Amino acid sequence: MPTTPKTHKQLFLNGILNENPIFRLALSMCPAVGLSTSVMNGLLLGVAVLFVQVFSSCTISLIKSHIHPRIRIPTYTLTIATWVTVIDLILAAYVPVAYKAMGIFVRLIVAFAIITMRLEVFACRHDLASSFWDGMGMGVGFLFGMTVLGTIREILGMGTFLGIEVLGFRPMLFFVLPAAGFFTVGFMMAIFNYAETISVRRKRRG
Amino acid sequence: MKEIFKIAVALTVSCLIAGGVMGGVFMATAKAKKRNELLNVQQTVAGLLGYSQARPAPSNLKIRTIHRYIVEDEGGIRSGYLVPVFAAGKTEHEFWVVDLNGHLMNRHQLNLSPERASDEQDRRSAIAGVVGPRKTIRHADEISIAQLEGKRLAYIIPAKFPGYKNAIHVMVALDPDFSVRGVEITAHEEDPGLGGEIEKEYFKNQFQGKAFEKIKVLTVTKSPLAEEHKRYLETKEWGKRALSEQDIRGLRKKYQNEEIHAISGATISSSAVATGVKRIVRNSVHRITLLEQVVRENAIQGAF
Repeated sequence: MPTTPKTHKQLFLNGILNENPIFRLALSMCPAVGLSTSVMNGLLLGVAVLFVQVFSSCTISLIKSHIHPRIRIPTYTLTIATWVTVIDLILAAYVPVAYKAMGIFVRLIVAFAIITMRLEVFACRHDLASSFWDGMGMGVGFLFGMTVLGTIREILGMGTFLGIEVLGFRPMLFFVLPAAGFFTVGFMMAIFNYAETISVRRKRRG
Repeated sequence: MKEIFKIAVALTVSCLIAGGVMGGVFMATAKAKKRNELLNVQQTVAGLLGYSQARPAPSNLKIRTIHRYIVEDEGGIRSGYLVPVFAAGKTEHEFWVVDLNGHLMNRHQLNLSPERASDEQDRRSAIAGVVGPRKTIRHADEISIAQLEGKRLAYIIPAKFPGYKNAIHVMVALDPDFSVRGVEITAHEEDPGLGGEIEKEYFKNQFQGKAFEKIKVLTVTKSPLAEEHKRYLETKEWGKRALSEQDIRGLRKKYQNEEIHAISGATISSSAVATGVKRIVRNSVHRITLLEQVVRENAIQGAF
């Protein structure tokens, strides 16, 4: 990882493209494969992760000097769990419509690798503003990845987009099953790697 | 040694802080959450009765709930029914212990205010107070009765049964003649796009209007749903371009006695719902007739 300090914009874009959690870092693959069966699922899970990531990053960045180095990971898990519970409870109490759709996703987030990894690699070494932008980038990157996967799988598997009939038939029902998630993720990774190779080649030439 | 102590203190403190935050938020939101859940149930019930925001439920609509408990002691297993009884303009609750042949064994008066009657813990403690110790009581199921101007409008039965993956929670509404008024899937964890389709109108509305005699022998067929049948079932989706009254009547007659058409790719989920609804309807009808027999045999006035 480059050590040169980055601007906030760079940090934000880094999470979406260069270090996209799903397609580049290959983290949190279980939800990426299991839950990206439709655009709506992908969007909702992405939004939930975005919130938890930003809040946890900010919290850890604020209290980083008080964390005993031996119990970093438990502290991260505890922070994530607290934020997940708080968001879950607040949604259930004040935004019942959103809770109905997002409830099960929010509770899954405690075990996501991407959040713990960002806290360990980034938030515990950087100031609040940088951590916020890094969390935003990673969250939006995850949201973007989940939405792309959801779109591909929903259109190919069910012939719909956001539940609206677009094709009128189901091209490959196989795509809504968990196994197809691996194919879709692999396919997207290949595209991202190819794009990287091209951009590196171009830089060398230029 | 000192290091271990430090770590232990740090961990304990962080756990306490996290616990404090979560506990605080929980306490602050518990009331609103409970209210939302109740509201959600009420909305589902109103939807099944045919009321919506455009057509709100009349204020004199009353919904009373009968809870069934399993009462167990050395003497054997019996059913106990918590029944609302109105006397002198007030609703009171009684607990009837009924044996397997449907004969009333014990009749207890319960001291249960309407607010407390909606809470499981309060109900159980009230029942435990009257049936005496050395008996275990378990909540089994419940049947709600919707009444409008002294007439029974519908029975509403919330229940759950195993689906393809996990329990499917449903709410079944029955007409006074025990034909199905509607089925609503309230919670499930079936695969999206496959078993998840059970909550779609074209599946759940197939139960609507089926007579009790038909439900008793209901099966699932794998033959596809006819296009006009699907259109008839998807009432909400078509909205304004809905079919005319006459068409609906004709189609209803045509398709009313068909079996349940399974969702393609989700035969197990489909037959789970069909079997579940069948069982719920049969059991509830059995219980309602049994209770009516008890009322008749013992000449109880004003029961549910």
